[in-house]
Amino acid sequence: MTGQATAGAELLTCRALVVGHAGAALLPPIDAQLRAGEFWAVIGRNGSGKTSWLRTMLGLLPPVSGRVQTPNGGIRLSYLPQKSAFDEHYPVLVRDVVSMGTERGWSFLGRGRRERALEVEQALSEMGVISLADRPFRQLSEGQKQRVLLARVAASRADLAILDEPTSAMDAVAEREAFTLLDGLRKRRGMAVVVVSHYLGLVQKFADRALLLDRDTPAIVTGTIDEVFGHDSFRERYGDDACALHP
Amino acid sequence: MLDQAARDPVPEHPGGQALELAVPPHDHEVPTWDEFSSGWQLGIYQDPVLCGILAGAILGLLGVFVVLRRAVFVTAAISQSAGLGVVLAFALQIHGNLAVPPVLGALVLALLATSLLALRAERTFFARERVVGFCYIAASAAAVLVGDRIAQEAHDVAAILFGAAVLVRPEDLLLVGSVALGSAALVAVSYRGLVFAGFDPEGARVHGLPVGLIELGLWLLVAITVSVTTRAIGALPVFAFAVLPALGALALVRRLGHALIAAAALGAISGGAGYVLAFFLQFPVGAAQAALAVAIFVAAVAGARLLRRG
Repeated sequence: MTGQATAGAELLTCRALVVGHAGAALLPPIDAQLRAGEFWAVIGRNGSGKTSWLRTMLGLLPPVSGRVQTPNGGIRLSYLPQKSAFDEHYPVLVRDVVSMGTERGWSFLGRGRRERALEVEQALSEMGVISLADRPFRQLSEGQKQRVLLARVAASRADLAILDEPTSAMDAVAEREAFTLLDGLRKRRGMAVVVVSHYLGLVQKFADRALLLDRDTPAIVTGTIDEVFGHDSFRERYGDDACALHP
Repeated sequence: MLDQAARDPVPEHPGGQALELAVPPHDHEVPTWDEFSSGWQLGIYQDPVLCGILAGAILGLLGVFVVLRRAVFVTAAISQSAGLGVVLAFALQIHGNLAVPPVLGALVLALLATSLLALRAERTFFARERVVGFCYIAASAAAVLVGDRIAQEAHDVAAILFGAAVLVRPEDLLLVGSVALGSAALVAVSYRGLVFAGFDPEGARVHGLPVGLIELGLWLLVAITVSVTTRAIGALPVFAFAVLPALGALALVRRLGHALIAAAALGAISGGAGYVLAFFLQFPVGAAQAALAVAIFVAAVAGARLLRRG
């Protein structure tokens, strides 16, 4: 696929996928089907296996058992790891960071500078950070950095963007803005989005599907937001007034 | 130094390289510019100065990636291993009657150290920083011990470990030049991949970039460059050029591309001017080159602070 998947098309399917480390399962098997244009939220306590699931779907971590399937020809993926995975002191400009989104495979050996520059400008404009294009990335505020990284996702023209706590360093206003920008990307480009977040109010407002990982019970709950938020496992963990308490 | 070199040509050892401290006898009068100029015109100093410039430039350039990967002591371990490789090649020539080119010894040991360091921590008993420490200490100790058994080459061993190459053989200069050009070309071609893999390795992997190959390629380039330059100018200046120009450049400029150019320039100045400094101040060459790299680094950091305040 080339970043323009038909709305509703199957992108990635987890079949009895067991995630874990060194052969030891963290969670029960996960079954989930991600389709083009969907907005998924991944919720659960710290250490519940959210990042492990994302990394297994992305092929960064081998599954303990089960499978991750994509359509023939594969899909275009984009990944925003947790903040700690970046080298934030790297001496790159904002446009260099966004330009990374346009790279695929061995493309870094080629030229195509003009096409990439256009993609980068467009993505920066879309995320409202065009004025930061020539600023050093390391000198930005946390909120600005996250917007730039979202611009990298936009420049990637991905079918499926996976973001691991992209708003963890943001205040409530910046977080809402980030969710709005992601939702815009999804709607304009038909990109499927998977976001790990602890902010249940925003999850309820923007996501249409959710995956709850509960390592203590242990339990896996997938479904629409209403289905997951109405599930006993969710209520046990978060209470009935979760969204009011975690806006 | 000119008088000494002209009157008392330095004998060549079995490895073929003429090495001597760049220190005229202490009762010698202070060298003059005319002496240096005459020596330059005779072609005595051109090769070592050019070699210092080329080695400083390419090590400075590669050093930026090394520093950004927080692996400066990896270079120290590789350069010491390369030094051991040269010493072992001498030992094999003298005691084993085997004509092993010293640069081949340097390359083999440097690659061995690199492959040991490239092993992922979870696959080895030791974490990388411990392997770095092990390689550095083991190579340094072994080089001195093996050097002790080839007494007639003792000053050459010291020169390889601490850097005191007054004269550089044409073939070494050619090798350093070729490696410098080749490495610079490979960095230029794979620049975007090196940057993405360094900034966000997991993101790069998800985008399908061959991150493992990129990292392997970088460290192979470092190993080859370090082994060739260690043979020519010694381990101490090699380590200095692989770290300090990069640190200075990263303090001075904001863009990675500019940092690469600045680091290459600072390294080249350290290598070339360090040799000239050694001549006039009657210091050992390698130590003078390393000391100049230190001075330039301090000046660069101070200059960067002043620029930010201004």
